[in-house]
Amino acid sequence: MFSPRNKRQIPSLNPKHRLAVLLPVSNNELHASATELNSDQSPVRRIRSVHVLGLIFVFGVSAFAADTQVIANEPSILKTILIWTPLLIKGFGFNILISFMSMAIGTLIGACLGILQISLLPPIRLSSKVLTQFFRNSPWLVLLFYCMFMLPFEINIGGLRIPFPDWIKAVIGLSLPVMANVSEIVRGAVNSIPSGQWEASESLAFTRRQQIWLIILPQCYKRMLPPWMNLYAILTMATVLASIVGVEEVMTLAGQVLAADGRPELLVPIYSFVLVWFFVYCYPIARWTVRLERKYTVKS
Amino acid sequence: MEAFFDWFRWLYQETGINLTFIYDSYDRTRLLQGFWTTILLAFTCLFLSVIIGIVGAWLQGSRLKWTRRIVQGYIQFFRNTPPLVQLYFFYFALGGLMPKVQNDWGGYEPLLGNFAWAVISLSFFAGSFNVEIFRSGIEAVPTSTIEAAESLGYTRLKAYIHIVLPLAFRVCLPALNNNLVNLVKTTTLAFAIAVPEMLYVSSQIWSDNVNVREMMTFLLVAYIALVGILVGAMNRWERAMKIPGYGSQ
Amino acid sequence: MNFRLAKVLVFSLIIVFMSGQAALADVVDDIKARGKLIVGVKADYKPYGFRDTSGKIVGIEPELAQDVADMLGVKLELIPVVASNRMEFLKQGKIDLMIATMTDRPDRARMVFILQPNYYSSGTNVLATKKAGLKDWNDLRGKPVCGIQGSFYNKKTGQEFGAEIVAFKGTAESLTALEQGRCIGFVYDDSFIIARLQDPKWADYEMPLPTIDDAPWGLAVKHGEYRFYGMMSEMIMKWHRDGRIVELEKKYGITPTPFAVKMNQKYSDKK
Repeated sequence: MFSPRNKRQIPSLNPKHRLAVLLPVSNNELHASATELNSDQSPVRRIRSVHVLGLIFVFGVSAFAADTQVIANEPSILKTILIWTPLLIKGFGFNILISFMSMAIGTLIGACLGILQISLLPPIRLSSKVLTQFFRNSPWLVLLFYCMFMLPFEINIGGLRIPFPDWIKAVIGLSLPVMANVSEIVRGAVNSIPSGQWEASESLAFTRRQQIWLIILPQCYKRMLPPWMNLYAILTMATVLASIVGVEEVMTLAGQVLAADGRPELLVPIYSFVLVWFFVYCYPIARWTVRLERKYTVKS
Repeated sequence: MEAFFDWFRWLYQETGINLTFIYDSYDRTRLLQGFWTTILLAFTCLFLSVIIGIVGAWLQGSRLKWTRRIVQGYIQFFRNTPPLVQLYFFYFALGGLMPKVQNDWGGYEPLLGNFAWAVISLSFFAGSFNVEIFRSGIEAVPTSTIEAAESLGYTRLKAYIHIVLPLAFRVCLPALNNNLVNLVKTTTLAFAIAVPEMLYVSSQIWSDNVNVREMMTFLLVAYIALVGILVGAMNRWERAMKIPGYGSQ
Repeated sequence: MNFRLAKVLVFSLIIVFMSGQAALADVVDDIKARGKLIVGVKADYKPYGFRDTSGKIVGIEPELAQDVADMLGVKLELIPVVASNRMEFLKQGKIDLMIATMTDRPDRARMVFILQPNYYSSGTNVLATKKAGLKDWNDLRGKPVCGIQGSFYNKKTGQEFGAEIVAFKGTAESLTALEQGRCIGFVYDDSFIIARLQDPKWADYEMPLPTIDDAPWGLAVKHGEYRFYGMMSEMIMKWHRDGRIVELEKKYGITPTPFAVKMNQKYSDKK
């Protein structure tokens, strides 16, 4: 390994052939690889459109391939998809609505649960920990099934009947794991605040509640934002699970469109179409998350 | 043994709680097979996704621009699309394009069956998250360590295998555990392409016997137990691998 | 801690199990008070219930549901159901009436109140590749057969005939899997298979096996709803008398099934 005979193993000083970390001084080439992946300058914008174009290309190829199987007097695949697009867009909008509502409910309750997890009273701490672990460890689909079948379809309060439609049950079913994950995010963020903050605020005679609300939480928001947005992306994907329990969202509607049309070769183009929409919705959120992550990185 | 089953039949007559998967031999066999399939699926995907993560993280540090771009494209595709739709896409679209081989009943079917495609799709899905996790672990390895390795004459690959990876692994273990637990939970999606795992078998049992509540409760308990065991084992492993001086502040 | 965790879990499960159901008044009064009839229909089974491009559910069964709503003088709301949840919805009271291609069987009659006379009929059969050369149901032993999740004939085909059922959520997935050769056949209602075989795309497929379990379909209401049952029974007899089912079959492009024709004759003779 040390013999000069084996020139390949001795790192050369040629700037083109070195490991990125060897010469930290010349920053351009050192950071080129890292920043090309993470920066928001034009290389990434090019990558962004390339990704979407790639997906549209895949979708187009599948539609074209499917088209070759179409018999003359049937409408072409692309035209069929365009006819059904308004219905599918309504379904997709429904997915987004479910994701917003689940996220809102889950975040509110999860934040409370997370703060309870750092409570000074052992019973509260324990029970909130149990609740969090229970909902974190259950599969999302099973929780969703459970809520769909176990929750009543309407509630009678006094004489008033409040209907409880399917999608609200799906919202509740999805907000349970969100609640557990937000609770963990909050707990993790609070735990990452240096203990000096707690001690200093206590020596200034802040009550526990004031400590949490005025000192600790404001410092936590920035740390919590990237994992929270990551959770939102995961949740948006998970709204598709609601189709398995019968909610009329984009996957269910895609299945019904396929049944109404009756041509099996429409399967791949329709699902690729749905795939493209999800990508177009989630990819900008992912990039925004990366930007926020870098903006709010805590220098340790 | 029959007395044990008879008690459950009595339970059904008396209370209406119908646990056919205990007393009925057909349902019992099905459910045990489903349980075994779930475990097999989960562990195969776990293993493959970790390998994909390691290879992907290695490729992400490559000098070639297009290698990096392809890896990045793969990550963005799998992270920003629903795994259910990915499964459908893999099984029906790519699965249909596979060369056909003759199977045991004389027909021609594509090369890979639904279990294989479920494994491939879920491994790639979890692998894309793992690449990011391993990358963050690798970035946490201090540059001084890598420089020292280089000055000792390690090639990039050897330094990756012997120096960087062991350290990076320990640093990213918590995030990796989280992802692996999520993977076990995501295996329930394979039920959409008729892989006979536990959720699929349970849904068949409850359509045949209309005992939805009992099967749902059983599923919840079974998955929590399975995940609980995995989380317990992972926590043990994490504690054993902990490096002093690293970890959450 | 683990023991406490177990206790909390057990208590919560018991509480969930014990959640009771509210009692309902007579469903006809409910419908009239609501001004709306809620009917569960299929939305993925052409031509019995499927979507048009505006998203409305159309088909033979939605039209029958409209007749019922007109009879009661209320508006109609259609709720899409699938095989695995249609009886649950009826039991919960989420739908008042179920017209969802459900076969009339004794174990189902215990769950829900199935209306007599039956309004339709079909049997179970298999859409298979001609290459497979199937002659008998027992030829399916050990072979993969595609199906729909929740269909009752999956159990029989799997248990009695030893086939390996590969059940998907919808017909599109099962048909695609069949086309790709992943299964030797698709077990489903013969009415659906006959309709498919009229399409030239399925020329390489056949329905070689004898139809089994030729069982009539039934409309269903919740158990205990005797008044609604009486009204609906009258309605079904009226449909058969007027030949409404045969008319709807022709409208949606399927050749009138022998059962529908037979019932039409039977009830018009009774006049």
